[in-house]
Amino acid sequence: MRMHQGIAFRTAYLLSGSAADAEEAAQDGFVKAYRALGRFRRGAPLRPWLLRIVANEARNRRRSALRRERLALRVAVEDRPGDAVPSPEAALLAGEQRELLLAAVERLPEDQRGTVVCRYFLELSEEETANVLRIRRGTVKSRLARGLERLRTEIGEEGP
Amino acid sequence: MSELELRLLALGHELDVPVAPDLAPAVRARLEERPGRPFPWRRAAALALAVLVVAVGVAFAVPQARTAVLRWFHLGGVSVERVESLPPGVERTKAVGLGRPMTRMQAEQLLGFRLALPPLEGNPTVYVLDGSLATVIVRAYGRPILLSQFRSPQVEALKKLAVDKTTIEPVQVDGRPGLWLEGGPHTLTYLSRDLSFRQRTVLIHGNVLVWVREGVTLRLEGKLTRAQALSIGRRI
Repeated sequence: MRMHQGIAFRTAYLLSGSAADAEEAAQDGFVKAYRALGRFRRGAPLRPWLLRIVANEARNRRRSALRRERLALRVAVEDRPGDAVPSPEAALLAGEQRELLLAAVERLPEDQRGTVVCRYFLELSEEETANVLRIRRGTVKSRLARGLERLRTEIGEEGP
Repeated sequence: MSELELRLLALGHELDVPVAPDLAPAVRARLEERPGRPFPWRRAAALALAVLVVAVGVAFAVPQARTAVLRWFHLGGVSVERVESLPPGVERTKAVGLGRPMTRMQAEQLLGFRLALPPLEGNPTVYVLDGSLATVIVRAYGRPILLSQFRSPQVEALKKLAVDKTTIEPVQVDGRPGLWLEGGPHTLTYLSRDLSFRQRTVLIHGNVLVWVREGVTLRLEGKLTRAQALSIGRRI
């Protein structure tokens, strides 16, 4: 269990946007996964199966918590050893751009946001994303396309 | 990949995600809860989850292991594996294939441990297979039930293969960890105590209760409900 709790919590956190909800969702996910072991198909990969249960819990919590005005997702602002030190203006600009992009992701419709989070923040493959979100791979592609288009509009970036 | 996609990937690395808390204690506690129904998920169940997830994780981490049978559960000297189809099994009649018949005293001398038996009338015949697996036919609820037992070795001595139709539940037998297998045919493969010899596969259609007590693995097999099996188990 400890082998998977890191990715389970990260998945729940990025999908729910709240550490408290993520902890609850990951816990519920493990409990439900255990009780559903009888339906686990031999040969099926474990991680997407577990993450699918956790993701479902996390998304349910996010839906019920959308009353929150301020989301807990933040960009880390720590200096990394070895990084070249940018000018204060450049650092401020880069930080603002990251915050702008994150805010735009947070404003995406829920289906697009979940797909973007899985594909880019969790770095799941399209197939894993489809499995975790219980949608078809084609739906992953279309949601990503719409989500990226919307993000470009929001942040004022031109298309690829 | 477009520049925006690259920026999103980079952003994923820069997100301030809290360190994952240790979920195991809370999950274990949740599995130990019995909210309103006598469903004995306890410590063994929670530990089994950890063992299972680690085992499966390791198995899937090794590409060549992906085609191997998924080990489902390990309890005492028993492992239960879920498979897609069962190997050819031998249909077993009541006493045939259970081993050599002998008295209880002879069996206990051969096995080296005291047999755990329910209150029985007379001196039961004990069947001993490979000098390690003892079986007694017990009549309960108007039908014959097989009660088998063997000292739990370090390695598995008794393997069960179950298909999807078989449900597998952790249970408690008088406070001890156990497994309940119900609903579909499954096979039982015996291995000798030193693993040096034969193994045979028999096809079982009844339900099975397996549990461990004081280093001995016990199993009940027959057309029993879960409650009936647990009731017998508590009386042994």
